[in-house]
Amino acid sequence: MRVVSLRVVYATLLGLVLAGIVHIAAILAIPVLSEKDAISRAGTSESLDHPQSIYTVATGDDPSPPEAWLPIPDPAVAVGVCAYDLSDGPMRVSARTGSLSLSLAAHARRGAFYAVTDQAAVRGALDLVILTRAQYDEALADDDENDPSRDVRIVAPDTRGFVVVRVIAGLPSQRPAANAAVQGVSCTTDTPTDEPAGKDSSGKGAGR
Amino acid sequence: MRRAISAPVGRAAASDGAPQGGAIRFVRTLWRKSSVAGLAVYALGLGGVLGLASADWATRGGYPFGGVQVGAWTAWPRAGAASADPYTRAVNARRGEIPLAVGEGLLMTASVDDAGQALDATCTYRIGGGTPPARAWTITVAGRGSREPGRPALREGFTSTEVLRTADGRFAVVLAPDVQPGNWLPSPRARGPVRLALRLYDTPAAASVGSLDRNAVPAITRLGCAS
Repeated sequence: MRVVSLRVVYATLLGLVLAGIVHIAAILAIPVLSEKDAISRAGTSESLDHPQSIYTVATGDDPSPPEAWLPIPDPAVAVGVCAYDLSDGPMRVSARTGSLSLSLAAHARRGAFYAVTDQAAVRGALDLVILTRAQYDEALADDDENDPSRDVRIVAPDTRGFVVVRVIAGLPSQRPAANAAVQGVSCTTDTPTDEPAGKDSSGKGAGR
Repeated sequence: MRRAISAPVGRAAASDGAPQGGAIRFVRTLWRKSSVAGLAVYALGLGGVLGLASADWATRGGYPFGGVQVGAWTAWPRAGAASADPYTRAVNARRGEIPLAVGEGLLMTASVDDAGQALDATCTYRIGGGTPPARAWTITVAGRGSREPGRPALREGFTSTEVLRTADGRFAVVLAPDVQPGNWLPSPRARGPVRLALRLYDTPAAASVGSLDRNAVPAITRLGCAS
């Protein structure tokens, strides 16, 4: 009897150690395997050249539309996301500042790696270019010394991620403008030879 | 012989524990049948069930770690940072949350008042004072779970621009189920726990949460309860 109960104690201890291992593995696996996380959900916006609205603030009697998937969003802040895949080329996010405060934050798998607000804008324009290390070196090499680029260049830790655009509507009357300001930001893929114009979306489609 | 003795024991154990009874009886039967294999299954099962259940529990609600207590508020400065702990990242992934980055703003939440009592929808609270320096802030209230269907959405929060202030620039928001003069924030539901969220946008406080003290954040004072 004593031998049997000792065995049970050993098995229980082994089970608890296993539980710890499973717990840690599950916690680490959740962000990788999740299909509901922001990166997976933002992926649909990759073919757009403007942010996909994920939270439009309620205007007048219109409640927020159901595309909102943020768990507890701020009712006064319009949110949009632009997903990027740097294997297609660097991602350029251009925002024109207006009267409303705007912020851009670049997120990758592990979390936000860069954030900037419209107070950093140069002459009313905020140009953020997200690139890989190799693309950054290339951009540095291509720089014209007489005409330095005003882009804010950020090296991303992963090739995939998304940029979040947040516009704060301080007053209810500013809410339509905040929704429009999110849509007014442009997110385009810089292709090395072409201008970031209409060719982007077709180039992206071929890349898949 | 052994099985014959053990069967009633297993059944007796099964009858007192209601939900786990089946599992215990199953494990006991296995253990009696073949000791080593049964114990291995027991250990594996215990490890799998406990490990997954604890991982689910730890990532189900809010962030388990990383909060900095400031008065009644808890600040979450690292929720959106690349150096966030694995639990925070798992919670974000499960909820689809896009947390505020350090350069963007700071989220502070409160589920208790200054006296330490849980915030309840039937009670009236005064949320007043100043906020840490920020370009803009919003103070919002939410109940647990989804919105109640029949309830009209009156107001979910105040922004720093629209809140009414006294002459010295401070403010007082009254969270109450009934209409109040001044900055009235209606309770989001008829009863149950509520949570307050203070979001500071473009704030230097995000980088130095440790230097915030009780007087820098709005005080939450309970004024009374309906029932």
